[in-house]
This record gives sequence, C-alpha cells and structure tokens, in this order.
Amino acid sequence: MTLRRGLLIIGLLTPGLGLILALIGTVVYIAVSQSFGFYSLNGISEFSTEFWSKMVGRKIFKRSIQYSIYIGVLSAIFSVALAYPLAIWLRKPFAGSNLIGAILKAPLLVHGLVAAFLFVNVISYHGILNQFMQWLGIWSEPRRLQNDPNAYSVLILQTWKNMPFALLLLTGAVQSISDDVLDAARDLGAGKWDRFRRVIAPLTISSMQAAMVIIFIGAVADFSFQVIAGPTNKQSLSQLMVSFKGRGDWHSAAVVGVSLMMIALVGSAILAAVARIIMRGRIK
Amino acid sequence: MVAIDIEHLSKKFGDFTALSDVSIDVQPKEFVTLLGPSGCGKTTLLKLISGFLEPTDGVIKIGGLDVTHVPPEKRDTALCFQSYALFPHLTVKENLEFGPRQKKVSSSERKARIDDVSEKLDLTAQLDKLPNQLSGGQQQRVSLGRALTMRPSVILFDEPLSNLDAKLRDQVRIEIRRIQKEYGLTAIYVTHDQAEALSMSDRIVVLNDGRVEQVDSPEQLYYAPKTRFVADFIGDANIFPGEVVGAISNGLWQVETGIGSFSVTALEAPKTKSVSLCWRPESAIIDTSGIKAKVVHRAFQGHFTDLIVETNETSYRVQTKRTDAQEGDIIQFLVSPDEVILLDKDT
Amino acid sequence: MTMEQLNKILLISLLLICAIWLIIPFTMAVLWSLVDPSEPWTADKVLPPVISLYRWVDMWENSSLKSALIASYTLAPSAAILSLLLAMPTSFALGRLKFPGRELAKMLCLLPLVVPAFITAIFFTSLLYQLGLSSWRPGAILFAHAVLFMPFAIRIMTVSFEQVRQDHIDAARNLGASHWARFKVAYLPALKPGIFATLLIVFIQSIEEFAIAFIVGSPDIVTIPTLLYAALGQDYVRPNAAVLSLILVVPNVILMLILERLLRSANPTLSSGKG
Repeated sequence: MTLRRGLLIIGLLTPGLGLILALIGTVVYIAVSQSFGFYSLNGISEFSTEFWSKMVGRKIFKRSIQYSIYIGVLSAIFSVALAYPLAIWLRKPFAGSNLIGAILKAPLLVHGLVAAFLFVNVISYHGILNQFMQWLGIWSEPRRLQNDPNAYSVLILQTWKNMPFALLLLTGAVQSISDDVLDAARDLGAGKWDRFRRVIAPLTISSMQAAMVIIFIGAVADFSFQVIAGPTNKQSLSQLMVSFKGRGDWHSAAVVGVSLMMIALVGSAILAAVARIIMRGRIK
Repeated sequence: MVAIDIEHLSKKFGDFTALSDVSIDVQPKEFVTLLGPSGCGKTTLLKLISGFLEPTDGVIKIGGLDVTHVPPEKRDTALCFQSYALFPHLTVKENLEFGPRQKKVSSSERKARIDDVSEKLDLTAQLDKLPNQLSGGQQQRVSLGRALTMRPSVILFDEPLSNLDAKLRDQVRIEIRRIQKEYGLTAIYVTHDQAEALSMSDRIVVLNDGRVEQVDSPEQLYYAPKTRFVADFIGDANIFPGEVVGAISNGLWQVETGIGSFSVTALEAPKTKSVSLCWRPESAIIDTSGIKAKVVHRAFQGHFTDLIVETNETSYRVQTKRTDAQEGDIIQFLVSPDEVILLDKDT
Repeated sequence: MTMEQLNKILLISLLLICAIWLIIPFTMAVLWSLVDPSEPWTADKVLPPVISLYRWVDMWENSSLKSALIASYTLAPSAAILSLLLAMPTSFALGRLKFPGRELAKMLCLLPLVVPAFITAIFFTSLLYQLGLSSWRPGAILFAHAVLFMPFAIRIMTVSFEQVRQDHIDAARNLGASHWARFKVAYLPALKPGIFATLLIVFIQSIEEFAIAFIVGSPDIVTIPTLLYAALGQDYVRPNAAVLSLILVVPNVILMLILERLLRSANPTLSSGKG
C-alpha cells in the first residue's frame, strides 16, 4: 500500500472513526487519570492512590458494586430466558404472529424514563394495581409497592425494556436454523427440551451471548430506573458516580466510573463464557 | 407379520386432497419405492409414515403397533433427508451418536454401532470432521449412517440422491441397496426418477394425484402396466384406442386400432369392446409384413435407433437395432402378441 | 392438543398480557394527563371525575416545556445532519476501499455503544471544564450527540456504500462525468435510503438521549427527557409527568413506524439494531 493511499485512508477515517476514538479515548483517559488524582478541577493535581484506597474501604461502594452486578446479571438472564421460548414460538409464521411480534417489540420504542413513570404510576399506592387487588378481595388495603428493597421494580423494568432486544437478536438466530435439521433431531428421538438443549441453543449461542452482554452492560450502568423506581437504601454505580460529581468530588466519581467500566468489561466476558459453557457443555 | 400396514390413508390440506384412500402392505426387509411425478403425494405419504404429518383419515401400523397418532420422536422410524440435515455444530461421530444417545443406549453399544456403520460406509477417517468439511457424497453417507445407528424397524429415504452428480448417484444407489440388504432393514424410498426406482426396488408404489395407480415389482410394472398412467410413466409406451374385433384362437384376440390391426394375448376376455392397447417402442420388429409407417425423424442412439414414425397421421415411436431406415422411408413392423398390453379402458 | 389449538391459547394469553404490559400503563398515562385540577382523581373513582386539557395548556404556557421542545427539536436534526456528514468519509472508506485492519476499524466504530452513557456524560463534562469550554454547552451537547450516535450512521452508510454498483460508477466515468456528477448519478441513488435511515435514527436517538443532556446540559439547557426527569423527581406532579411522557413517546412511535416502512421498502440488509 502506497503512502499516498495510506494517507487517503487515514484522512477519510478521521472525521468519523477518528472522532469516535478521540472522544471515547479522551473520556476514558480522563476518567482513569482523575481517579488517580490528576486533572483536578478544584485543587492540586498530583498522583495519588488515596481516592482508590478510600473508596474501596467504603461500605456504600461495595454495596453499590454488589447491587449493580445483581441487577445486571439478573436482567440479562431474565431477558434472555424469556426471549428464547418466544423466539422459538415465533419461528414459523402463523396467524397473528406478526402482530404478536410487533407488540412484544413495542417496549423498544418507549423511552426508559417514560417506562419507569408508567410502571410507577401503575403500582403506586392508589394506582390501578392496588385498586385491582383490593377489588378482587386479595388485599384488604393498598400496599406500598414502590421502591421495594429487593429492586423487583427495577428488575421488572429492565426485563420489560430489554426482552424485546433479546427477542430481536434471538429471532434472527433461531430462524436461521433449517427446518430439516430440527426435523432430523425430532426423527432421531429428541423431544422439545432436547431439541432446544442439543440443537437450538448451540446453534444460536453467539446471538445469545451478544444479547446477554449488551443487556448486562446497560443494566449494570443503569441510572434512570434506579433513581425512579429503585430501592432507596441502595445506590447503583451510576447513581453513586453522579452524586459524587454533584458534590464536586470528581476524583471519587472517577474511581466509581472506572470501576463501573471494568465491571462492565470483566462481567461481560465472564457472563459470555459461562453462557457458552452451560449451553455447549464445553468451550470451543 | 407385516412390517408396515397402511389402511385407507387420506390427507387433506384444507380443500386440497393430497392423498386419498391409500392402502399398502410392506413386508419385513422389503425395499419399497414410492414413485410418481411432482405433486403426486409421495412426500406426503412419507411424512405420514415418519410421523411429521397426521392423517385426516386412516390407520398406520408399524410392526403391528398403531402409530397413527404417535409423534416422530417416538416412532421407530429413521429418515434420510434430501438435504442431509446434518447437525452443523456436531462432528460426524457426534452426528452418528445423536440418535442412540437419545435412546439412552449404553456407551459401549454406541461405540460398537458407530464403528460398524463407519466401517461399512467408509467414514472412519471422517469421524472427527464437521459437516462443512465433507464432500456431498460423504455428507450423504453420514446422513445414511445416522439413520442406521438407530437400528430402526423402518428406514425412510426422501429423494436422497437428488443433490448428487450423476456418477456419484449410481455409486450411492448401489451402496444404499447393499446396506439395506446387509442390515435387513425395511425401507421406503421416495423418488421421481423411474430408473432409480426400477433398479433398486423389490416393489414400487406408483402414485398419481394422491392415488395409488399400481403396486407391483419393477418387472411387472414394466411388462404388465394396468393403467395408462403407469404405462406412460415407466418407460416409453405407444398407446392407442381400439376395438376388439374377435378371438383368433384361445387366448389370442384381434384388436383394430387407428394405425392397424394387432393380435393380443390375454388370459381373460376383454370386458368391453372398446379398449386401450399399448406396446413399448422396442417391441417393434422390422419385418416385410406388418404395419406400414413413414419415418418422420431418426435419432441414432448407439445401441439402438430411435425412430418417430407416422401412420394415418398418428405419430408414435419405434426403437430398433437396425440402422438402415432413413427419414422419409416407409418401414413395416410387427409386434409380438405377448408384448401388446391391454389397459383398463377408463384410464 | 394440536399445534393450532396451542397457538390459539398462547395467542389469547399473550394478548391478555399485552393488555397489562402496554395498554393499561398507557391508558393510565393518558387519563392522568387529562385530569383537571379542580377535582383531584382519588382512589375511589375508576375514571378521573373531570377531564380537560388543562394540564396540557398549563404546561405549554407556564413550564419550560416550550424551551425544552425547541431545544430537543433543534438539537436532534442538527445532530443528525452533523453525524451523517462526519460519518460519510469513514463509511466510504469502510464500504468501498480495501485496507489492512478494516474489520478492526469497523469494530472500533462501535465503541460509543460499549461505554456506559453516564460515564461518557460525566467525563466529557470534565473534559469540557479542563479545556475551559464549559460555557459552550449547546455546542458541546450537539458534538457529543453527533459522535455518540455515529456508530449507527457509519454502520448504515457503510452498507449503503457497499451497495453502490461499480459498473454504474464506471459507466458515468466512461461518459466523461465530473466527480460531482459521478456522485449524483452513480452513488446517490444507492445512498438515499441509507441517508434517510441515518437521519431518522440519529434524530430519534438524540430526542431520547438523557445522560449527556442531563449531565452536560443542566441546569441551563432543558430537553424533553431532562424535563421529564425533573417532573418525576422533586416536583412530582403526576399529570405533568403524564403529559411529558406522552409528548416523548408519541412522536417517537410515529417516527419509528416511518423508519420501519422506509427500511422495508428500501434495502432489507439495512439494519439499525433498534426496532
């Protein structure tokens, strides 16, 4: 490749890929540097591991990590676990399957904040769910369902929002398996569960991994759902990070931010590997 | 005991009748072919036997057991797909193992079956390869092997040779028949290729438009077709309407057709005066007496010459080893009475 | 039970679930947005006692809704156009030129999707402070949106560029066309659906974007999502939140349907990864 062509390629890539790398690269660089004390916005800039050591000792930090991972992993698992049977059911078109597909994918169109509001509205103290349960006679008085300590609301919201995405990825993968291959499995004695475990799952694994990783990263870094519908005694990592920044403590915010990125990366890799092992029975 | 017993089987898809009132018996270790043109219902019948479709009417029994409503995973049948349908993520060995594993066969027995099948099908060197690393012929053999390791009561073939090139087809045809005999399996084979059907089968079921036309050995179908369709579908046939003039002697009848008079051997008297008669082009013997015909087209084929001839403005086909007839010549030929067939009239 | 019967049962139960999952929440939102403040909607009544468009009018006149709408609906198209323009050269290179590392480059373009939104938002703000550009807020948000959503633009336009037929280009060249004319005749027709799709997607993403608008923009710049967030926070007035939610969702749904129609009629290989 000639120098001229090389320069041309680089020139073409600069406004697009170049800017992306610049922005993301700088952002990550600043986050890491600020976590080590540099680029201080209100004080002296000097290298220090103080922020890291202080943060690691804080209980609230540890709890946030646990909590965010809990949300991330469960959201990914629930979304994919729900999406698989639906994708398999919708594999071949039948009367109404297009309508069902569209309805199931509708949450993709709804903004996270709106979803949180709608949900909170429905489960609120005088909301329709409470009214319904009382009308049925199951509850004698309204119950406080919002901001529950186990974060069921957040998990439900995450699954509601992410399942359609998993469905999208898995539908394509499941439809790419030829009918003959599934019929052959059936002919050789495989019932529904065996067909899933031994044919469908191994053949759709990369889509499943992609879905799990993307959902995990999104859920681990969630801010909106947590703030609106989440438990009040726990904070997600993003929430923690924003609150540090709001107080002007950029360095601590950076520590949380870098930790979040690392958890997202490492967690995704672990999740993908575990999924592969369980579905395939071996690493290939 | 009959291996497969099909009684009055019908299948309708909405308004469309794919099969109507099919009844067949298949003996153990028999190789039966379902033969017919596209849309005749042979694939539907195969799917009914394997369990992928449920009949609208009728009963299917395999080995004496009523399996009419039993799903494919529970039937003792194994299917070889036209597309091979090998599991792309499993090696050849794992593909072969799939069925026995489902049946919970012990691992030592599984190994024995795989060794046996891979040896007979020459797949031992391929055991650790993935399907996309195999040639078409090898994939075909894995598909066959996968069915064999199941040791099914009935093995089913859905046009397995249609994706292979002509030379390979001949080879594999012989192999399939050999394996079927060696393992003593009952086989149902679907094809639209009559040469395949004639060369491989113990009996052939000829289907047309969802109905059984005739079930017989290849020789019987060729030399004694019962209906016009069978006569035309298997081999070439010249078919003419005619009138029975009278009996010439015991068992010999004279029939007058548009191109001339024919003597026909028939054990029973023809039921009606109007008949359809047919004979194969190669049955014509060039002779100085006999029916006169003008050669309209000549094609030298090596071991015979194919002639399209015309008599009284009706054209038909004659095949002869003699090469002296040219286009425009008038030839004369006879057909031996044994080789003239009377067909059921309403065909 | 046959497949058909099973399908019917599943269909009915799914429709029931959808009623709960979609229809009820939205109906509640619509009803709440129509509540008239003269009579509050208490728990003992199934429907709001008085319905009016009071909330809608009030929000329009008194709150930051107007400025939020203006902000969102000027930011989004600008971000879309900027993103498209920045993405074009890169997409051209990725779609039509061969060079070592092309696949890696394609993957790297997806980076903004991998870094969590709030991290990008916070440390981009930090960057702005470092560079002393903190007063240049609207521009910063515009820039951030354009770059953040470029992965979509690049992906779509790369596929579009791959679709441009070499023989069309050659024919145009052969007939003596200038660079611009060549572009118009050979490239544009294949690129048009991709261009529309890109503009639409970046537009939608920008309207919905929350993290950057919130962190970088507040308190001066208000977009509809940040306004909704505020309405859900300290000043939680349910009807106002309902109004804002509907304003956010309804145009989005319409735009997404247009996008779906566009993608289906154009090239089926164009995919946005959304919807």
